[in-house]
Amino acid sequence: MQFSYIQPTSIEEVFKLGSAAPLYAGGTDLIGLMKDDIIKTDKVINIKKLKGLDKIEDKGNKGIEIGPLVKIADLIENETIQEKCPLLVQTAKEIASPQLRNMGTVGGNICQRPRCWYYRGDFDCIRKGGDTCYAVGGENKYHCIIGGGPCFIVHPSDLAVALLALDAKIEITSENGQKTVPVNDFFILPEDDETKENILEPGEIVTKIILPEQAKGFKTTYIKFKERSSWDFAVVSVAAVLKTDGNMIKNGKLAFGGVAPHPWMEAEINQKLTGLNTDEASVDAFTSSLFHNAEPMEKNEYKVILARNLVKRIIDNLA
Amino acid sequence: MAESKYVKSKIFFEEEFEEKLAEVPTDPKGPWPANDNLKIIGKPVSRIDGYDKVSGTAVYTFDINLPRMAQARILRSAVPHAKIKKIDTGKAESLPGVLGILSSNNAQEIKWFNTSSLFDTHLRYQGDEIACVVAESEAIALKALKLIKIEFDELPFTVDAKEAMGEKAPKIYDEGNIQGGKPFEYARGDVDKAFQEADAIVEDTFDTQVAIHNPTEVHCSVVNWDGDDLTVWDSTQAIYGVRDTVADALKMPASKVRIIKKYMGGGFGSKLECGKYTVMAALLARKIGRPVRIVVDRKEMNLAVGNRPNSVQKLKLAASKDGTLTAISHYSYGAIGGYEGGAGCSWPARQMYKCDNVKVEEYSVFTNTGPTRPFRAPGYPQGIFALDSAIDMLAEKIRMNPLEFRMKNNAEKHPMWNAPFTSKLLKEAYEQGAKAIGWDKRNNQPGADKGPVKKGMGMASQIWWGGGGPPSHAVLKLNRDGSARVIAGTQDLGTGTYTFMAQIVHEVLDIPMDKIEVILGDTAVGPYCPSSGGSTTAPSVSPAVRDAAENMKIKLLEAAAAQLESEKKNLVYVNGLISDTSNPEKKIDIPGLMGKMGEQTITTTGSREANPEGYITQTFGAQFAKVEVDTLTGKIKVNKIVAAHDIGRVLNRKTLDNQFHGGIMQGLSYALMEEQIVDINTGKVVNTNLHDYKIPIIADIPEIEVIIVSEADPMNSNTGVKGCGEPAIIPTAAAIANAVYNAIGVRIKSLPMTPDKVLMALNQA
Repeated sequence: MQFSYIQPTSIEEVFKLGSAAPLYAGGTDLIGLMKDDIIKTDKVINIKKLKGLDKIEDKGNKGIEIGPLVKIADLIENETIQEKCPLLVQTAKEIASPQLRNMGTVGGNICQRPRCWYYRGDFDCIRKGGDTCYAVGGENKYHCIIGGGPCFIVHPSDLAVALLALDAKIEITSENGQKTVPVNDFFILPEDDETKENILEPGEIVTKIILPEQAKGFKTTYIKFKERSSWDFAVVSVAAVLKTDGNMIKNGKLAFGGVAPHPWMEAEINQKLTGLNTDEASVDAFTSSLFHNAEPMEKNEYKVILARNLVKRIIDNLA
Repeated sequence: MAESKYVKSKIFFEEEFEEKLAEVPTDPKGPWPANDNLKIIGKPVSRIDGYDKVSGTAVYTFDINLPRMAQARILRSAVPHAKIKKIDTGKAESLPGVLGILSSNNAQEIKWFNTSSLFDTHLRYQGDEIACVVAESEAIALKALKLIKIEFDELPFTVDAKEAMGEKAPKIYDEGNIQGGKPFEYARGDVDKAFQEADAIVEDTFDTQVAIHNPTEVHCSVVNWDGDDLTVWDSTQAIYGVRDTVADALKMPASKVRIIKKYMGGGFGSKLECGKYTVMAALLARKIGRPVRIVVDRKEMNLAVGNRPNSVQKLKLAASKDGTLTAISHYSYGAIGGYEGGAGCSWPARQMYKCDNVKVEEYSVFTNTGPTRPFRAPGYPQGIFALDSAIDMLAEKIRMNPLEFRMKNNAEKHPMWNAPFTSKLLKEAYEQGAKAIGWDKRNNQPGADKGPVKKGMGMASQIWWGGGGPPSHAVLKLNRDGSARVIAGTQDLGTGTYTFMAQIVHEVLDIPMDKIEVILGDTAVGPYCPSSGGSTTAPSVSPAVRDAAENMKIKLLEAAAAQLESEKKNLVYVNGLISDTSNPEKKIDIPGLMGKMGEQTITTTGSREANPEGYITQTFGAQFAKVEVDTLTGKIKVNKIVAAHDIGRVLNRKTLDNQFHGGIMQGLSYALMEEQIVDINTGKVVNTNLHDYKIPIIADIPEIEVIIVSEADPMNSNTGVKGCGEPAIIPTAAAIANAVYNAIGVRIKSLPMTPDKVLMALNQA
């Protein structure tokens, strides 16, 4: 069997190559998927040589444009991001390990596949085209507590959670042109399609991540709870963008990772933030109302408590 | 020549006593003085193989590359329980580059375990061997594995020990799933009476997980036939054990099989026995007439080369008001997988503390899971976790400081046999460890800290064997330039055996370290030494090396007497110089003396002396942990571990610290993270890689302070060394668990103590 490793230098060339091959950028996820036989392919398209996709550009009041080939490590080092969007720097520092951040890209990070051990293991699960989600009644400690069914993955990206809280948009390019979608619309739930995590169709490429200009006076933070101090995925993570006034939260947003098949934000939660008093009783009342509609499985009920506690910690720290 | 005799020698190895007929010296050398009065023993000496290892020039078994070498890989069962009907290797055989395939279709019947064979058609766990392919490359071999078609009947399976013990469980063997048909039982005193008369009783159930050895270097062998002679390079802890298994399997004389292991990236017990893969590679190499390398990958490591079995332990302890431990009842069971093994964990209950009334009942249960193998102090980390958790609970119940409670119940003689110890400094370990951790600052009220992050302190005791014993031999050769070669059929797992052997030769003969070559890990060269398990290598091998070196000194003095025409009684050996006390003109150094002999070498042998009759040699210690628990997340952070142990004499302070640091990290990992998880619905393991099977990174590791309270155990051997590899890991998890309770006031009775368990326990408390 021939294996093709194709190295186009322009995006037009990629489109000409057809649509059925995985794109190879940092490779930190793709290579593992191929080695573990999750992705079976005889063709890989290396997009590292595509021009112009590895820039971070400050567009003033139009925000910041981040190319998908920007390495996670470069995001951390970038002065524009450091100055205008410290949340993204803080989030990027939480990703994986220095070695992986040197290889992994922003585009790859938001398009990475789930880490569910049934999906990654020798199980013919629903996400791989089978008819069972083994997490149901199985080993579901790390699975979702909300938004699941018929598959119960969580989305592994840290950046996506922060981008959601920052109202970022994703630019997608195909042979037919470009479109820009909010992060919230980029990711999909298993009930829409249990075999993929986002709206990308074959032949479409993420070409930009657009951060809108951030309003002044907001405090931001990202808390990632992981079992190991480094080189681990989030059990639950929370990105927060909050404006406070004395002991009152004026308004803000909370986005969650590790709780759902895609980065999770609830309008209802964010509405309750507006005008929230930061005394202990009010905060406790607020946090204990979070995820009241969650449907934890046998082994992940702790995630509900954990998510609430992390929000409590964020409010205590920021407000 | 050194005189020797034969004795029957008892030695405790891993899980039980073994008796061996052993050659021992009749002129045992006296004990060494304290380390302060020795030149290099006990000092922090860098590894003599350190440069080769860090520079990448050290050749491990995994790295061996012979001309025309082919590569073999194993096809393993994807299901937990099945009966093979048919194996079709046709497609795989026709794949270009495939050189040979072995399976039950064509392999000779070779007995394996007591119940099985090299290629059994009854598959008893996910990972059981089905076939082995040899090919021009590993990639081709792997591709060929996927082309082998297996027809099989899936059988009902059981992966849970409790379920497997039940009447309704599928039987893995006709005789039933309880190994031996009955539990192991032990009793002394009258437990029932003691419970009736007790002032305080605690009773609880503790459980521990399945843990995988996961050494850095995966299991692997390279085999090469030269006529009828077979050479095997193997990543093993037991070169003679592998030799015998291979020879028996292939029906060859042991003399025709040579096992070599130079460097090794860890074993922790999983490499104590010969793997099927080695025999498969030997069969295939003979078939194709080429050397064969066989490697087990990380996934196979997590399925098929052994584990520390799980345990469920029901413990009941009693004490009187004055703090006397009056009764221990220990009931336990654990899964041993599809083949014979052991899940016992009651040794600590039987012998850690002075206690007149003890009852033990433990079951090793066959399940459709991976096999057990000895894992760094088999049974002890799990046994001490339960026992020392319960000890703390009992101490709290009688309002006694848990340190004081342990001190009070310290056994002066061995509690099972009423025999004296060659040395026991457990009280000293308690005292010095407590002082170092600042035990007097421990919370009196568990969970008293304000705020979400709460701090605590805890401790646990350690007992293990580690006295070593005969048979163990060494050969020393001196060359014309005064350089030395010391040879022993032992193996260095990365623990520092190479270095201490050279240190001993230097200590006795003053030959510079860089002129001492150490040869080990080769059955064709070395005189016999036992396999490296049970913390027995240094205590067994170091006295043999010293014996050989002292015998060399005797020979050198005789040679010098002849050369200097002096009377032997007038000669003294000081700092490598032999001089005549009656005539200062007469002196000669070792290179000078050896130079007189041309190309001759002088050879001496040395042996480990017999263990003292009627005495028990054991290691002891205590570890103390400082932790903080984030009650919002359930995460436990260990801030400091103090390890205070009695392990006899320290040979090398650097490699000793390495052993303790490694053992404590592995113990912390066992306490907080590691766990093999089997999907109950499919009987398959979900975490077979090092992402999902979590081990800590360096940021998770606290400050570790190692205190050695012993100078030496001179009754045990001429070096007074006891082993330290296993003592290091034994009390870590229990000490952390007790510290967690002290921090939060909620006891976690299940390992690993992961954040989800802690958070749920806090929210249910």
